[in-house]
Amino acid sequence: MGRKKKKASKPWCWYCNREFDDEKILIQHQKAKHFKCHICHKKLYTGPGLSIHCMQVHKEAIDKVPNSLPNRSNIEIEIYGMEGIPPEDVKEHEKQKSGGGKGSDSDDDEPAAKKKATPALLGPGPSQVTQGILPTPMGPVPPGMYPGPMQSMQMQMMPPFMQAPRMMMPGMRPLFPAASMPPTSTSKPTFPAYSIYGSLSSGSNTAYYSNATISAPPTTTTPSSASEAKENGDVKPPAANVCPLVTATGAGSKIVHPPEDVSLDEIRARAPRYKPKPKPDQPAHHHHHHHQPALMSPSTSQAEVWVAAHMSAAVAAARQQQCAALRRGVLGGVVSVLGGGGLVPGGGGLVPGGGALVQRAPVSVAQMPPVVPMLPVMPQFNLVRPLQPGMLLPGGMMPMGAMFPGGMAGLPVMQPRYR
Amino acid sequence: MFNQLAGAQGNPNKDLEVTSPPDDTVSALEFSPPSLPQTFLVSGSWDCRVRCWEVEASGKTVPKAVQTMDGPILDVAWHDDGSKIFMASTDKSVKCWDLASNQSIQVAAHEAPVKTCHWIKAPNYTCLMTASWDKTLKFWDTRSAVPIMNMNLSERCYCADVDYPLAVVGTADRGICLYTLEGKPAEFKRVESPLKHQLRCIAIFRDKKSKQPTGFALGSVEGRVAIQYVNPANPKDNFTFKCHRPPATTGGYQDIYAVNDIAFHPAHGTLATVGSDGSFSFWDKDARTRLKSSEMLDQPLTKCAFNHNGQIFAYAVGYDWSKGHEHFNPAKKNFIYLRACYDDLKPRST
Repeated sequence: MGRKKKKASKPWCWYCNREFDDEKILIQHQKAKHFKCHICHKKLYTGPGLSIHCMQVHKEAIDKVPNSLPNRSNIEIEIYGMEGIPPEDVKEHEKQKSGGGKGSDSDDDEPAAKKKATPALLGPGPSQVTQGILPTPMGPVPPGMYPGPMQSMQMQMMPPFMQAPRMMMPGMRPLFPAASMPPTSTSKPTFPAYSIYGSLSSGSNTAYYSNATISAPPTTTTPSSASEAKENGDVKPPAANVCPLVTATGAGSKIVHPPEDVSLDEIRARAPRYKPKPKPDQPAHHHHHHHQPALMSPSTSQAEVWVAAHMSAAVAAARQQQCAALRRGVLGGVVSVLGGGGLVPGGGGLVPGGGALVQRAPVSVAQMPPVVPMLPVMPQFNLVRPLQPGMLLPGGMMPMGAMFPGGMAGLPVMQPRYR
Repeated sequence: MFNQLAGAQGNPNKDLEVTSPPDDTVSALEFSPPSLPQTFLVSGSWDCRVRCWEVEASGKTVPKAVQTMDGPILDVAWHDDGSKIFMASTDKSVKCWDLASNQSIQVAAHEAPVKTCHWIKAPNYTCLMTASWDKTLKFWDTRSAVPIMNMNLSERCYCADVDYPLAVVGTADRGICLYTLEGKPAEFKRVESPLKHQLRCIAIFRDKKSKQPTGFALGSVEGRVAIQYVNPANPKDNFTFKCHRPPATTGGYQDIYAVNDIAFHPAHGTLATVGSDGSFSFWDKDARTRLKSSEMLDQPLTKCAFNHNGQIFAYAVGYDWSKGHEHFNPAKKNFIYLRACYDDLKPRST
């Protein structure tokens, strides 16, 4: 039964977190990507196998599994396909899968494909092919625990769950892949190997099934762990792991993102420099203050007052023609200021002109009943706009009108806003 | 580290630099709607400012105006008539900036920073849609202090897009919610993200023939984009592709960068992605091919936009916090570049 649950998730590669539709492919992937000797390109079967091969054949020490994630590069751990993955990592992976996506799509597809795949795959798995090589679901085996060379013999007789530590013996090293897996060694090409496995497994059903049970433990534990996480309501911990751990590429890769699974913007917004504190200078402060109540309710007359205030502010701040611009002129003024001073210093250029405006605005707002603001402005769109043409004509308005003709066009649009 | 190695010069794609760029990272970038005869570009940035430039046919940019809010800007949106700009900020408010009067007034409020704002123009109504980290989605008649409609999101809003009659919102925990805007806004369905990582951006695309919104592209922090149809004719129509993963450098590890923004070309229906890796790419989702990939810049690209007729592609360059605050260098300048893109985005076949 544990098996069935397992089908819910795709086989995945512990070294790089990549998922596969089929464990066969996963094993091919591991051999090609993670267990290939960089010197002679021989494909080994496990990380330790590779390490021993390199040490003995090439006299080179390998300390990391090639193309693996930084935290999954341990070459001591024996992993073959899905076998030997540390239980906590299985849980983690399952958690992420279930936590994030119940992955309806993939799950639907999978059962069928996987049902077929699993028997064949698992059969060949640990007990047969990789006796002595394969790690167990028990997780990483401490190096010191190497079982004896006899292991392959014993395995057949042991209950599945006893097959735990299956690292190869130091003595076995040279032979390692070949010796421990006679059938495989003859057929290096990954595919042929599997057909052989298949036939083998059919030969000995006992071992075959025992494998199934072996793989069960990790499977059963995973769902529960996932649900536990949910019950805790512990969103953060698992989430935090998502970024650093989840990398779905074939090769060793890393997502450039803070470990926390929170958006960059949220993280950034926490920085003191971005705290939306009321600004030290009154303009912004007041502005903010008064706008809150402003949301409450407005009145047309006030809007006009406000507008007027703005206009005067604009006049004061801007120079010459911009001043004449009044309402529209404000923008005109700003523009000219900007054009001259340049935006670079930020609102630097604006501050003189626009800044003044801002200051004024709050004042005028302040004069209004606290309950008013919002509407004032909006009516402004409707009420004031129509006036604009006349108002604008005199000043440097023309250009502005040309710039934002939309304002006029907006009128009809703004009207029907009953939803 | 990668950034320093990559672009020696700041503008390897030789694009037009927008004058007087923002003082801090650009968080929002929008061209003016077709209702305006001229082209304006508006940016919102982390320096709490919203800037407006006029983009002349020559590509010359003229700074026009600036507005300041009390917190960093997270999004901007144009009113469909081009007369106003909505600005969403971490100060939990959205303001409406009337360009004619150069006044801004608060039109929406949330309990937390407002991540997105979009102007909705339906035949029978108009309203402002805002989504926030307070896990709500609100629709506002801009004249009222109370939202017309208030909907709960499953999580904090991370991205949203609107193309009448479809609205989509992507949230933390990989949630996606679709809304139909016909008649009035209503939740349409919630879907599971096809991407296994945090959502970062979302953009609606239209059907080639009907020109109606038919699906959306999602970008995640894991250098991957998913193309999703609302009602896929064939499940195979939905797919994902990898992007913004520069070739492995030292150490053999491949760095995978966030897809910071996605924009669809208004005429061709092809799309552009910009990434934390400092590059942009153009894609043809139907042919499932990449049309172009840019040279690498020395800083992340945070936002991109097409103007309404698809002649201009704008992208913003600045630090996006992807390597944490330690890598933030306030002295580093931010840029916005413009590029003539019409031909680059033509679909491959046809």
